[in-house]
Amino acid sequence: MTVIRPSDDYLDQPFWTHLAAGTLHLSSCEDCGKAHHPPSPICPHCRSFNTGWKPASGRATLKSFTEVRHPVHTLLEPAVPYVVTLVELEEGVRMVSGLPPGQEAELRVGMALECTVIRHDPRFALPYFLPAPAAGHPDTA
Amino acid sequence: MGERMKTSIVGLGQTEFSKNSGRSELKLATEAILAALEDAGLEVDDIDGLVRYTWDHTSEATIVNALGIKALKYYGETEFGGVNCCGAVAQASAAIEAGLASCVVFYRALNARSGVRFGRGERVLEEVDGGLVTRQPEPPGDIYSAPFGLLVPGQHHALYAQAYAGHYGLDTEAMTEMLGAIAVTQRGYANGNPRALLHDRTLSMEEYRAGRVISTPLRIYDYCLETDGAMAMVIVSRERARSLGAKAVDVLAAGQHIFPGSVPMYLYAADTHSLAPEAVGRELFGKAGLSASDIDLAMIYDATSMMVPIALEDFGLIGRGEAHGFFTSGGHGPGGTLPVNTHGGLLSEGYFHGLNTIAEGVRQLRGESHNQVSAETALVTLRGASSMVLGRA
Ligand SMILES: [Zn+2]
Repeated sequence: MTVIRPSDDYLDQPFWTHLAAGTLHLSSCEDCGKAHHPPSPICPHCRSFNTGWKPASGRATLKSFTEVRHPVHTLLEPAVPYVVTLVELEEGVRMVSGLPPGQEAELRVGMALECTVIRHDPRFALPYFLPAPAAGHPDTA
Repeated sequence: MGERMKTSIVGLGQTEFSKNSGRSELKLATEAILAALEDAGLEVDDIDGLVRYTWDHTSEATIVNALGIKALKYYGETEFGGVNCCGAVAQASAAIEAGLASCVVFYRALNARSGVRFGRGERVLEEVDGGLVTRQPEPPGDIYSAPFGLLVPGQHHALYAQAYAGHYGLDTEAMTEMLGAIAVTQRGYANGNPRALLHDRTLSMEEYRAGRVISTPLRIYDYCLETDGAMAMVIVSRERARSLGAKAVDVLAAGQHIFPGSVPMYLYAADTHSLAPEAVGRELFGKAGLSASDIDLAMIYDATSMMVPIALEDFGLIGRGEAHGFFTSGGHGPGGTLPVNTHGGLLSEGYFHGLNTIAEGVRQLRGESHNQVSAETALVTLRGASSMVLGRA
């Protein structure tokens, strides 16, 4: 199973070190409190340079998804089909995510999701999102 | 009306579109430029401005040296490889109106089919110790999206399509009907257009349905055709165009847009079922002294078929959520209320990064299209990122 890694020089950055430690953190403004993604040295909401890292709640809404069936690289041939998602976090930021390799789920735009961080190796982990367990849908728990 | 641009496109030139041009991009570029000049009735020494995409491999200086252009007074570049097709025309027009140049050529040459293909992951990934690594700071294929397998524009377009389906409650069958109606109708146009790569290949709705799914909900027939070739167009002031007697088509308005999250690839934009700012159509048509209902035909940059319904809705040419009804009833086809991509589009003529999208608008307004319709005005756009209105001279 091939999972594409960011090159090692990126994995020292806080977004990735927090994930490797098991939690999704978001680049967040210490002044207005709003989060932004991808990480940036300046808050796009209030233009403060006083930014830091805060843990995400992990709650999100599904904005879109696609099941990729055509591998665009020969090394991805064993990986297809796989599901890529576009999720809107409760903190108001958008992220690209997906279903964990090999996992299936019935997806619907607008559904509630929850984050699960899966470590692929000691330095590299990814935030995946799965349908949230909801009242009336005990089988998704 | 006072804000209308005061330039015209007076010459078009191109090589054949092919899977393997068999010659260099420089040779392709110069062939297209010379053909555009001949079409306009102008000479190499008339050129005093050049515009191109930053992604084009053939620099302005290379063109100046190759053609022996005596004095280039203005050259400008617009970002990316096709997003800014109308932005390049806007830039050329602005340079002319500001007196920086009087005759600007917009060119594009690429061996995109036989060289490194835009739809392949090799463009953004490296193989390291038997695994795959990304070093890209920005999409497509960047460090925040590549690890999930989101690598190429065609997969982003699948996300736009599913976002649209989810927003308007269209099921899989309804999406198939809508996108199939676009792909099949555009193939029909291509069958009438000898320039089209797929001129000789018909496509039925049954064949569309049976097409291989690339990335749900998009099938192989929803994707553009990577192509080798070159195109060029000549832009001069409207005043000069009238004195040339060339078959001019007027640039009535042209512009570009970036807003938070729209670049790169709309991954972080507020909406993904709509890809342009709310006011984009009103502003553009207003500059042209027109309204959406005055537009006679639309040339939409269709890297995938999904770009077509989104653009028509974003520019107010059809209502929000009306695309399924419009396309399944043939509104975009021959005899429809708003013919769209009458050359076959990037889907069936070839992926020529928007220059062929503009060129078909010009040919229609000159009365030279292979699928000629009656039209005074044309909208050309790439999902609002750049757009323009052309008018019959
Ligand atoms: Zn702030």
